[in-house]
Formats: sequence, structure tokens, C-alpha cells
Amino acid sequence: MNCEKYQDLLSDLTDGSLTPRECEEIEAHLSACGDCADARADLHALVEYCREHRGEYDAVPNERAMWLRISNTIEAEFAGNKPAAVPAGAGWWFRLMNRSWQLTFPQFATSIAATIVVAVLLTFAGMRIFTGNGNGTKTGGITLASEVSTVRDRYRQQQQLIDYWNQRVELNKARWSPEMRETFERNLTVIDTAVNDSMGRLNQNPHDEVSEDILNAALSDKLALLKEFADL
Amino acid sequence: MNRRRPAHIIRPALSVVFLVTLLTTVAWAQKSVSRHYPAGKNVRLELKNLSGTITVETWNRDEIKITALMETPTVHFNPRQTDTGLVIDIVGDNRGRGDVGDVNFKVQLPARSSVDLETRRGQINVSNVQGDLVRAHVWTSGDIQLYGINATRVFASNSTGDVFFDGDFASGGTYEFKSGQGTITLQLPVNCGFRLVATAPAQKISMGKFWSPNMKTVGEGRRVIGDVGDGRASVTVTTYQGNINFVRR
Repeated sequence: MNCEKYQDLLSDLTDGSLTPRECEEIEAHLSACGDCADARADLHALVEYCREHRGEYDAVPNERAMWLRISNTIEAEFAGNKPAAVPAGAGWWFRLMNRSWQLTFPQFATSIAATIVVAVLLTFAGMRIFTGNGNGTKTGGITLASEVSTVRDRYRQQQQLIDYWNQRVELNKARWSPEMRETFERNLTVIDTAVNDSMGRLNQNPHDEVSEDILNAALSDKLALLKEFADL
Repeated sequence: MNRRRPAHIIRPALSVVFLVTLLTTVAWAQKSVSRHYPAGKNVRLELKNLSGTITVETWNRDEIKITALMETPTVHFNPRQTDTGLVIDIVGDNRGRGDVGDVNFKVQLPARSSVDLETRRGQINVSNVQGDLVRAHVWTSGDIQLYGINATRVFASNSTGDVFFDGDFASGGTYEFKSGQGTITLQLPVNCGFRLVATAPAQKISMGKFWSPNMKTVGEGRRVIGDVGDGRASVTVTTYQGNINFVRR
């Protein structure tokens, strides 16, 4: 975990909503990292100040009158900006351009959502047309692009996740029994061998469907194994 | 001569005493727990173990009997009854407690049960289960042996160790077998029908009598695809470094 992630967890640490293990992990980091320790001190000071001065803030003298003033000001500005009346013989373009587009928040949110849906559908349709609906190979329930670069990209992405979970496993490994450590290492080697063999074959033949499937399966297995053992 | 005779007697006697003491200590250190739970015909058992052997058998009673032999007596073992069956989670119950040693389970339940079994390390044996689901997953090393299985969905996977399946495939059923390094053997009746995707990068797929003209090999023999019989069950078999064998019952 990096400093940014630790600092994200500081608020939860101050609230006491983390597990004892997470607390231990963060405390260990804070004892070694000056920046994060300062950030925790700042947050702590802020929370303490708020706790000490709870209930001391001045209430607005007449809340209803204030909202009426705000409302009147908005209405006055709106009246001033009202567009000129549309002439009787104006064309559709003139009417469209001089129309006032006022939307309530739900209308605005709906229009944004509709725009996103349309954009996604168009992108998806475009990709299908662009790829000719034939370059992707569906095997073993996983859709695979046959380009090697895509396989490598996916491998890199998966590898980042694997690195993250590997670090978590390494933190806990000392607590395992020697037999469990040995078993884990041996089985990880089996999966790594499958990954390396598949990558080797893909280097020779980038369109080898079987190796792609094995690579995907082995990477998924490795990730699942690390996740499972990270909690042990 | 007379002075040496007692030594001849004492030494074996001491050895026997030592052995008896050792065996008694081991027996005391282990702990066996046995519990019974009422169950309907279609019950579901979910068991997640850390390490040890899991053996599941069927019987003609509407109840589940769990016998757990624990290597260390301090293992937390809290089976929970749910609306659909029984849940035993040794992993969750002992989280953060380090290594709690092996827990060997023997489970007896009605034949129409579904079983979902998982262990980090150890063997899984299931026999004669006829329910909807049979799932056996070993995260690392351990053989999986499934005998007399007649379930609609079967999933068996391990990393190191063999997988053996003896049973039938139901029409419309889904069957997945996977191993990292072990041999996968499927023992099936002659009239068994299924659609197969079998993958073994070591190029060791033996279809035996189940080879049919509707099948083809892909990737220099590393994969076999095709239909056997009516082809109405879906069967996926994958091993990274082992063999795949189809055997007739």
C-alpha cells in the first residue's frame, strides 16, 4: 500500500472503524513515514477541535427571511434575463435558438444519463464494426482479443493486481506453519510454470488460442490463490 | 549372566512404557467432536476447511452427522444451520488465530443433498451424492475422489493432486474438472452423452472408447473438442501439466 492509500484510511482509523489488524498495519507505517504521521496529527487536531467546540456555532437569526431574500434575488435576475418575445413569423431555427432551456435537477440528471447511455451504445457498436466482430475469440467463457498486444496488456494489468496481493501474502506468511508455506510455494510454482509456458508459446505463435486460454486461467487461478491466502 | 538379565527385561519394558505414553499423549492432544442435525431430503452442506481430509458419505436417514477430528483441541468449530442446510466455516471461525492444524471431517448426509466443499490443503472424498450440486475445491495440494456421483452440477478443482470422477452426466448438466499438475480421470457409463472441451498442454488426452467422429483435436493435440452421444451435458476438463483420461465404467 502506498502513502496515499494509508492517508485515505486515516479518517477510518480516527473513527475507530478499522479492524485491529488494519490498525496495526497503519500504525506500523505511521511509525516509519513522517508525512503520513503529520497528516494523522493534522486530522486528529481538526477532529479534536470540532469535538471541543460542538454546539458553539451561531444559528442564522431568521432562516426563513434569509431564504426569501435569496429567492427574490434569483427571481429578479431571472426576470432581467428573460429573452425577447418571439415574432409571430419567426422560423423554426430562430425559435430554437431563442428558446430558454431550463431544466430541473432530475431532468438534467436524466439527460446526462441518456447522453452517457447513447455514447456507450455508439462506442460499443463502433467497436463491433471496427473489429469486424470476428477478431475476438470466445473460448472457455472468456472473450479474448487475438492481438498479442492486448494479451500483453491484460497480462500487465493482471500482474499489477498479483503484485498487490503478493505483498499482502508476504506480510502474513511469517505466521504460517512451515508445511503451509511449503505447500503454498509449491503450488504457486505450478501456476507460474503454466503462465510462463503459455507466454513462451504465445511469443512463438501470437494467435495460439489454447495458450491464451491457459494463460488467462492460470493468471485467474494465481490471483484467486493469493487473495485466499492473503487472509490466512 | 544373572546380573545382566534384568537389563534385558527393563529395556523392552521401558520402550513399551514410552510408546504407550507417546500414543496416549497424541490421542489426548487430538479432539473428536460429533454432532447431529435434522435435515430434509434436499439439504445443502457448505464446508470450508483450512487443512485436513474431508469425507462425505450418504445414508438413509433424514439427518446430517458431522464428525470432526481436530489435531489441536483449541480449534473453533461452530456449525450453523441455515434455511437451506448447514454451514461449517473453519476458515472464518479461526481467522487471525494462526495455524490451527488439521481438522479431518467425516460427514454423513441424505443422498439427495448438495455439497459445497473447500479446503486450503488436504484430500476430498465424496461418494454417492445425488443432489443438485457437488463442488470440491482444494486450493493447493490434495486429491479429489468423487464416486457414484449423479448431480446436475459438478465442479472439482485442485492445484496439485489427482482428480477422479466416477458417475453419470445429467442431460443439461454442467461439469468442470480442473487441476494444475494432477491427472484427471473420468469414469463414465457407456451411454453417457456430453459436449466436451478438454485441454492439456502436455498433449496427453486419452479419450479411450469415448472418442467419436464428432470430435476434433486443436492446437497440436493440446485440446479435444466435440460431442459424445447426445452431447447434452457440458463438460470442461483442464489440466496445466497433467493428463486427462476417459474410462468406461
